[in-house]
Amino acid sequence: MNLLATSINHKTASVELREALYLNSEEIKEYFKLIQGKLFSEGLIISTCNRTEIYGIPVSQNISLNEVQNSLVQLKSVSGITSDNFQNYVSGSAIRHLFGVACGIDSLMVGDNQIFKQVKDSFQLAEENHYAGFLMKRIFDSAVRAGKRAITETSISEGAVTVSYAAVQLIEKIYSNLSRKSALVIGAGETGELAAKHLKERGIGSLTITNRTYVRAEKLAESLNAKILPFNNFKDSLHEFDIILSATSAENLVLTNDDIKVLMKKRNYNSCVLMDIAIPRDIDPEVKNIDYVFYNDIDSLNIIVQQNLVKRKEEIPKIEKIIDEELAGFLSWFNSLEAAPAIKDLRDFFESIRAEEFEKNKNRFSPEDREKVEIITKRIVNKILHNPTVELKKFGENGTNSDEAAIKISIIRELFGMDKKNDKEK
Amino acid sequence: MKAVIDFLNIVLPFLYIITFGFYSYDFMKGGKKFANSKRLFLFLTLLFHFLYLLLRSIHFDHPPITNVFEIFTLLAFAVSFSYFILELLTDIRGTGPFIIIFSIIFQIISSFYIPDVYQVKEVLRSHLLGIHVFNALLGYSAITISAVYGFLYLILYHDIRLNKFGLIFDRLPSLEILEKMSFYSAIIGFVLLTIAIIIGIIWLPRAFPNFSYADPKLIGTSIVWIIYGIGIFTKLFGKLKGKKVIMLSIVGFVIAIFSTIVTNFLARSFHSFY
Repeated sequence: MNLLATSINHKTASVELREALYLNSEEIKEYFKLIQGKLFSEGLIISTCNRTEIYGIPVSQNISLNEVQNSLVQLKSVSGITSDNFQNYVSGSAIRHLFGVACGIDSLMVGDNQIFKQVKDSFQLAEENHYAGFLMKRIFDSAVRAGKRAITETSISEGAVTVSYAAVQLIEKIYSNLSRKSALVIGAGETGELAAKHLKERGIGSLTITNRTYVRAEKLAESLNAKILPFNNFKDSLHEFDIILSATSAENLVLTNDDIKVLMKKRNYNSCVLMDIAIPRDIDPEVKNIDYVFYNDIDSLNIIVQQNLVKRKEEIPKIEKIIDEELAGFLSWFNSLEAAPAIKDLRDFFESIRAEEFEKNKNRFSPEDREKVEIITKRIVNKILHNPTVELKKFGENGTNSDEAAIKISIIRELFGMDKKNDKEK
Repeated sequence: MKAVIDFLNIVLPFLYIITFGFYSYDFMKGGKKFANSKRLFLFLTLLFHFLYLLLRSIHFDHPPITNVFEIFTLLAFAVSFSYFILELLTDIRGTGPFIIIFSIIFQIISSFYIPDVYQVKEVLRSHLLGIHVFNALLGYSAITISAVYGFLYLILYHDIRLNKFGLIFDRLPSLEILEKMSFYSAIIGFVLLTIAIIIGIIWLPRAFPNFSYADPKLIGTSIVWIIYGIGIFTKLFGKLKGKKVIMLSIVGFVIAIFSTIVTNFLARSFHSFY
């Protein structure tokens, strides 16, 4: 099988280079036009913040991966990139790599299931632009199946691997039902935004944002349907929240021990969870000594993250087994597209029908007529199959890897349900 | 029938141990391999245990409440049965090993020492005594479960405070759920003990000529009842919460165990059946 793939990713290039080669969907469409027919007959392009990967069936045996890389570098007008920044894959290794990407084991954050959706979106884009053909569709189906199996059959995506998500996971070990709780997120920067999004996703009952720059809080609150609290007097309302998550870039403490003592008194000592995910810390760590206060800072949350990453890495052998199985399944299908097995299967298929019908009806004929009936029915089958056999043999002579041959053989198999019959027999 | 009773007496500890094994495997591995089969196995164990209690009652012509080892097998059944109902109601299946272990202990002791008593005092055949013992046993089962959930709460609480995010952190439900399960079990235990005490105070002086208000079991149960009463009402009125209510529940349980040991094995009173 003649599939080529080249990848620039977090293992081979700096973030600057990856950013420089990143393709948005419009650029991908433009690039499709540039390479389709010239380099590849069909293929797939995946571009995310951590990787840009180009897969394709070359239009001729002379196409090299260097040409593909150069075309990408020229499109983006990037300098300073060498062939060392690319990983190259051919044939089965290219499919294996794609399956690994879809399963999340090639991700910077092992088990990141966002990549699974990105692979699906990439294929959809390729299909809409007529860049993904018959073969890529089948590869994609197998990749999606491998990705789904990785999620359902292993724990590769379980457990928080970011500090903000670990904070939410920890909160859920304290409170059982977030829909009955209220949360305040202090700081609307990247970390605060992520934490607020996670709380929203987990169904927090009421979410409030406060930030030194009001406009930023307003923007985040609007996107998450949250309330806003002015930063200059947010401490007056602190006691109204069951969860306080602080992620500002302040140099000094935002919440002191006394603030929390006042808060707890006003709350009648109903438990309160304080998550400090800022560096330097926003909340005085002494607050953990106050009754009914649960306090965790970024160091303790990092313990959860590291433990979960170790657990995810331990799942990689299971994923590799899934990839092996899916790859074997795909290659078995692909090999069945060759002409010779297809001819044999087609003839066996018709012969089995003939033999079955003969067996069912042979008692209707006298013993001396039975032999004649068998000869006649065999002749009929041979005549029916003569032309398809000749045509299939032509595919074999022209080379079995051509798309046209593969499509036609696949159509014959599907029309007569030959694969289903083979599966039943297995 | 006697042969079946003897066979079940030997088999029951093993059934509880196997059930405990299923629950423990799922707890340690964190998988759901036995998610349904462990519940089914617990149900079958309880079914065999119920059959055992029924056959004993029919064969010996009295309910199995006449000596401490009969009480122990009833207690083993009551603890696991209460857990089974709790699991069905809440669908929280990860805490089974911590409860079923108590049934194993009670049943092993009972299976080893349970006597075949055909002749019992007339007073031990009374329906009122049956209701009194039934409520007291279910009440003690409920406070056992309350204490177990309380204990799990304390372990998880300390693990979170000390940033220990291991097996306990991964497998146990949230602190809020553990607190609720402990509290609701305590309420059920308190109500059942109240009924047992009321029946006891009204009926026991008439049934037992040597009845005494200084009886260690009566004093012990009353202390347990007062502790649980204080815990429940202070929690309901918002005076105590979280860890402090849990501590009270565990203290109540320890006193209940201490009282049982003193009453049944050390002191001699009308309440001693051993």
